[in-house]
Amino acid sequence: MKPTTIDEAWTLLVERGKSARAVGGGIDVHLFRVKDVDTLVDLTGLGLSYVRSEGGLTIGATTTFTEILESAAVASHLDGILVEMIEQVASPLQRNQGTIGGTIASAHPWSDVIPLLLVLDAELGVYDGAARRLSLAEYLADRAAGVRPLVREVCLPAVPGTAAAAYEAFTATGFDVAMLNCAGFVRADGGRCETVRISVGGTPALATRLPSVEAELAGALLDESAIERAAESASAAIDARDDRRATADYRRTLARVGVSRCLGRIAKRLGGTG
Amino acid sequence: MTITLTINGTRRTLEIDPGEKLLDLLRREGTMGPKVGCGTGDCGACAVLLNGRAVNSCLVYAAKADGGEVVTVEGLERDGALHPVQEAFLETGGVQCGYCTPGMVISTVDLLSRNPDPTEAEIRQALSGNLCRCTGYTKQIQAVQRAAERMRGGGRHD
Repeated sequence: MKPTTIDEAWTLLVERGKSARAVGGGIDVHLFRVKDVDTLVDLTGLGLSYVRSEGGLTIGATTTFTEILESAAVASHLDGILVEMIEQVASPLQRNQGTIGGTIASAHPWSDVIPLLLVLDAELGVYDGAARRLSLAEYLADRAAGVRPLVREVCLPAVPGTAAAAYEAFTATGFDVAMLNCAGFVRADGGRCETVRISVGGTPALATRLPSVEAELAGALLDESAIERAAESASAAIDARDDRRATADYRRTLARVGVSRCLGRIAKRLGGTG
Repeated sequence: MTITLTINGTRRTLEIDPGEKLLDLLRREGTMGPKVGCGTGDCGACAVLLNGRAVNSCLVYAAKADGGEVVTVEGLERDGALHPVQEAFLETGGVQCGYCTPGMVISTVDLLSRNPDPTEAEIRQALSGNLCRCTGYTKQIQAVQRAAERMRGGGRHD
């Protein structure tokens, strides 16, 4: 079914309950052979494919990864950080089909999108009978509790001052989803870290921020020793477990290397001493 | 359910199963260019252009193509002459067993329609969703470079 308004889409999903699934590109419903679903509600007719830059970035839920990659506004936001991340997402063929809203709503633990959006302080415009806005972290907490509004758009706040972000993913093959991934964001003031956000995902659980590591770096100079200390703390702070992609031990090593690389790139981008 | 779509320039109205994949529909209708490979979007053998963009037709619901335009490798020739991309693949030896070729050609057509003068890195990135188990990709990359050059120079299809 292909509704033309978001209210129509929401009403269909409510009426049909668990037998209906909202889709953008529809890849996940194929790949994960979702059971007991007999109705797909296609959201691509809702006019939610756009990238707007009105102080920050607003990206419609059904915008494909390729469309995001090709946006000039995306290329100039924080040195093209979204491009750095999206180039890790699947293959160009899948990026032509997959949508940013779809990947958020699926919330796979290995998601490339979620760790980065967490450190960019993303908010989501959602709809569940009325339009509202909430942070990505709140959305994910609600989702885990079974509350699943429709994702309408992703909003990235404008970043005043001197700031930089980085994203790093470790995969077994060029295509496979990440064994572990991480993202960092730093706003600097006079060479010191004013705001720090670090997230690690695929531990193998869904990405979360690491507040203890962020607090450790707040106010610090982002030099080599601070970066190495933060990387060690991140390695210890994650809830690493074994699964078929990697062992817990290996994940701790990846977290240390990944956080170190992210912070190293951020330091370079800030023009700091790292 | 019934959908209407354009397959290689011909408008068709077809009865489909709601869960049917575009790949299965195309092959059922005799369009055998897109190949059945992994079925999970990894190999790219099933690539087709859907509304001008290369996608894995094994991951696309046929219903999503309603009202759309599909071009498979069969739809690239004009008046019996091969598309410059097809010619370049033949000339450079970018074809061995041929199974990946329709998908490679479709990804190349998508790339060159947006970027007529790609760097080698851009070519490698654009073909990264198409796996080839015969070659080391060298010949395919040369084929894309040759096709790009010919199309920029105003080949017979331009």
